[in-house]
Amino acid sequence: MADRTPHGDFYGALGVPRTASTDEIQRAYRKLARQYHPDVNSDPGAEERFKEVGAAYQVLSDPDQRRRYDRFGADFRHVPDDVDERAHADGRTRYTSAGRGVGGFEDIEDLFSGLFRGRGGGASIPGADQQAELELTVEEAYRGGHKHLTLRGSGQRDYDVTIPPGVMDGQRIRLAGQGGTGSGNAAAGDLYLIVRVKPHRRYRLSGRDLHIDLPVSPWEAALGATVPVDTPGGEVKVRVAPGASSGRRLRLRGEGMPDPRGKPGDLYAEVRVMVPKRLRKRERELFEELAAVSEFDPRGT
Amino acid sequence: MAKYQLVRPVLLSVDEVAARSGLHPDLVRRFAAMSLVDSTTDVIGRLRFTPKAVPALARVQRLRTGLALNYAAIGLVLDLLDRIEVLEAQVRSHRRWT
Repeated sequence: MADRTPHGDFYGALGVPRTASTDEIQRAYRKLARQYHPDVNSDPGAEERFKEVGAAYQVLSDPDQRRRYDRFGADFRHVPDDVDERAHADGRTRYTSAGRGVGGFEDIEDLFSGLFRGRGGGASIPGADQQAELELTVEEAYRGGHKHLTLRGSGQRDYDVTIPPGVMDGQRIRLAGQGGTGSGNAAAGDLYLIVRVKPHRRYRLSGRDLHIDLPVSPWEAALGATVPVDTPGGEVKVRVAPGASSGRRLRLRGEGMPDPRGKPGDLYAEVRVMVPKRLRKRERELFEELAAVSEFDPRGT
Repeated sequence: MAKYQLVRPVLLSVDEVAARSGLHPDLVRRFAAMSLVDSTTDVIGRLRFTPKAVPALARVQRLRTGLALNYAAIGLVLDLLDRIEVLEAQVRSHRRWT
């Protein structure tokens, strides 16, 4: 997101000190304009920042306007031209407490159209598309549903986004007309939400397939067992066949991420044989007995 | 044997693009000549554009007004932005977490 500066703080908008030279101001403006141009930076906050930077430069690059801004502050446009220093000093509180921001300026409604008029044009230009990331947990991506999304910008933008079940990492959700504002009566751009599926402690995604570890005890692995497994869709029972060593993968067909346009992915549960960290007396005896009796050699041929 | 549906691609004339993008037709022709917007010519040599030309022209105008770029520079910026988009998509598809 673009960093915020209070409206009407032109030096802050350009990130220069009040003592900055014309060259420094120009340099800061060029750099920021390149950085925040809505076609270069698709962040939803970039366009507003770009306009802010442009408005600040328009004032600070003009020695006369800059002098008046330095003297009267953000409301300098509402101070009559012929006001003298002493008279202003009397009226200072009145002007500064008015608290009118950049939005109060009559002649910078839109930087694009403003610049265009200056060039003798007069066209309306559609707004640029914007992009924002939408972070989802694996469960949210699996189930879909509604998600509330807040974008910071000029005033907060709130969206209730409907997420289709089985949305994939990197997939784009288009919100038509919610992008950059057009100038004149041109259409606004679109806002694209790029889905980011957050890494999960237990679930790993590979395409639509879900991979999980399936911890089992040595006797469950040796004798076979039916064990419960949590999946994003709820608990399922998995049958572990007798003699399943670590690494054995069990496939649960269709239990992966759903696909609105086809077959859902599969869920792979990988057996991991776990042993108790500390054995109680009886357990130790049984394992020792097993060790004495068994001819199993996992390293043998 | 597979059957394919014949679909006529939507192609716009200079005047249609001009009307949709609010530009003078001559300016649309000039942008096409400078290859700032993709175009083809039909059998009788008239310029034809895909519907994507309209947002592409808006981008040209925004870059021109917002950064005071000349048309050669805009052409370069457009190429670079397109390349970045491809690269970012590749990075996204390779970013697999475990």
